[in-house]
Amino acid sequence: MTTSEPLISMIDVGIRDKRKGNVFKRPSYFDALKSINLEIKPGESLGILGRNGAGKSTLLRVLSGILRPDRGTMINNGHSVSLLSLQAGFDPVLTGRENAVLSGMLQGLSRREVTSRLDEIHEYSEIGDFFDEPVRTYSTGMGTRLGFSIARITSPDVLLIDEVLSVGDQEFRKKSERTLAKRIRSGQAVVLVTHSLAQSQVLCDRIVRIEDGVIREDEQ
Amino acid sequence: MAMDSDVSLQPPEIGEHIPPEMAFEWARESVREKDWSMAARRWAMLRKVYPDEPTTWFQAVHAHLEAGELDAAESLLVLARDRFPNQPYAKIQPAHLAMKREQWDHAKEILEQLRVECPLNPHTWTSLAALSAHDGDFEAESQYLWKAAECTPNQPGFYIQFAESAMNAEHYEEAAKRWAILRERFPELPIGYRRGAAAARATGDYDAARHLLLTHQYGDAFVEELADQDFPNVADTRSPLNKLLGLVWIKALYNLRSEVRRNYLSFTWWIIEPLMYMGIYMLVFDVLLTRGGENYSILLMTGLIPWMWTMKSIGTSSTSILQGQQLMLQTGVQPIFFPLVMLLQTALKQIPVYILLTGFVWLNGNPPGMHWFALAPVILVHALFTSAASLAIAAAIPFFRDLTILVPTGLTLLMFLSGIFYDYSVIDERWHSVFLLNPVAYLIMCYREIFIDHTVPDLLALSWRGGVCAVLCGVLLMVYKKLRYVYPRVVME
Repeated sequence: MTTSEPLISMIDVGIRDKRKGNVFKRPSYFDALKSINLEIKPGESLGILGRNGAGKSTLLRVLSGILRPDRGTMINNGHSVSLLSLQAGFDPVLTGRENAVLSGMLQGLSRREVTSRLDEIHEYSEIGDFFDEPVRTYSTGMGTRLGFSIARITSPDVLLIDEVLSVGDQEFRKKSERTLAKRIRSGQAVVLVTHSLAQSQVLCDRIVRIEDGVIREDEQ
Repeated sequence: MAMDSDVSLQPPEIGEHIPPEMAFEWARESVREKDWSMAARRWAMLRKVYPDEPTTWFQAVHAHLEAGELDAAESLLVLARDRFPNQPYAKIQPAHLAMKREQWDHAKEILEQLRVECPLNPHTWTSLAALSAHDGDFEAESQYLWKAAECTPNQPGFYIQFAESAMNAEHYEEAAKRWAILRERFPELPIGYRRGAAAARATGDYDAARHLLLTHQYGDAFVEELADQDFPNVADTRSPLNKLLGLVWIKALYNLRSEVRRNYLSFTWWIIEPLMYMGIYMLVFDVLLTRGGENYSILLMTGLIPWMWTMKSIGTSSTSILQGQQLMLQTGVQPIFFPLVMLLQTALKQIPVYILLTGFVWLNGNPPGMHWFALAPVILVHALFTSAASLAIAAAIPFFRDLTILVPTGLTLLMFLSGIFYDYSVIDERWHSVFLLNPVAYLIMCYREIFIDHTVPDLLALSWRGGVCAVLCGVLLMVYKKLRYVYPRVVME
């Protein structure tokens, strides 16, 4: 049940982006988010649908605390929020193992914790001996697998996911979707940005549609 | 006739050689699309080919009824009943017609009779249920629909109707139970899970709804396995500063590792590069211009190596925040992380270079002594100045990107004004105090006092310069903290 106090509340949140000008051209402004009212409750899985440029990624960045809104109020009572990032900070010259440590730390884990879970990352990624080879020798699919395997060991109060389940080969996509399903089932709050209504209907309790920086529909 | 030219009315090849059920699919297509007028027309065409098939008659009546073409339905029904008097539809459809005409009493009369005559026909019960629904009697409607379902226990259609009636009446708890019955009897049907989840959601039981959707998507075994899943939310007890410094350390180390692996000569480049610069200056100033003088190589090295530390730190840090844009927007890492990594990475590379410097100085007749202890405060002040300058330029560039073009020019000017390849004593003495206001020139003077003059620099003067740099570093740290949420916006512009 999702009736308790929200983990995060957004009240009339707006973000105005600036397009830099120069000596010949004035800067211009663009409202990436106009007026967003949204609550994320404990254990809830929320799907965010919308076309490209609708403001979905900006919304996730505000939720994760990377961006601060220009107007409105954003309330987070000390809950950890993490944007699931694939291959964050990957260095192509370093091995998969080294990148796992680096990327895991960039996603908020301590070095000790990442190191203690390297075997788990290795096993989940299914890249075999390539784990100790430079990432530049990987295929796109292998890079994605490793990226997801690292990202999946983070466990914040609210997990934000931006389209990452639509990458990689089909088999691994299914595996990552199952992992997400497990997360959701375990009671972690998840916000999932996707183009797939079918996917969000399976995984999400609630779906909102964002258009031109405004939430058009909010349905359970 | 216009009708004949309508492509949708062109039947597939039908006739005696095609089983009727296959041919009927053509009309059922329209039924599934709920295009009732089209369905009636298709059944009419099929009726011409299969006049002895009751389906072509009674389905056409049904289509006319649904299309609201009640007179057409009645005329056809009269003919159909004459032709097939014993067909169950021949008895039920008059009731449907009566209901469509809102002749409720007449419909009731027919259905009461059917209840006795055709108790095993599920349509008797669904028709009675429709009548009860009109009366608003949900309980009676439910009873009749259940009877319909029980008439054909191997067909899911009437169970679905049974559950949907509860959904329509907004009795969601009851609907959830009915969908559960459907799932129990027909576990392979997706609708039982999907609509069951909708019913559970309507009652506020999101957990049950999610469980059903996951079961539908991944199967029972997977969902059972979920019960044992544990995703521990490990509380991170490290302070934000600790976290940041740990990350800076690892990133700098890994950057160095990456740099070393990129080149065949590996880390030896860290030493070869300053030696190459030294070779160039020696060639120009000592050999070609003959302006070097005695011990020029030591003079040059004690100026060039400290300068290269400063130059590389400022050069690599200056655009680091812009280059880290993607990572900052992906992970929310603090903007100061980027110049700090560059500062540490450059500083670590100086360790072998400084060892080379001291060795070179020693081998050229300048042995170490107590005065070498003064290197520690000089290097500390040097590090503080380099950090302050690098952090300041890195902080400014995202706001004023044109500075990126000015940084190399500024560094060249600073290099010429710092006495790297000449001793500051060669300039007019009146300008000495002004010249030494340049921190790099002052630090190079200190290095040379230690290495060449074998004396300890003025530690008081050094410490106040160090103090100013430390305060500047402190102020810059606060600026970075203050602008932490501004940088992600600025780099996106």
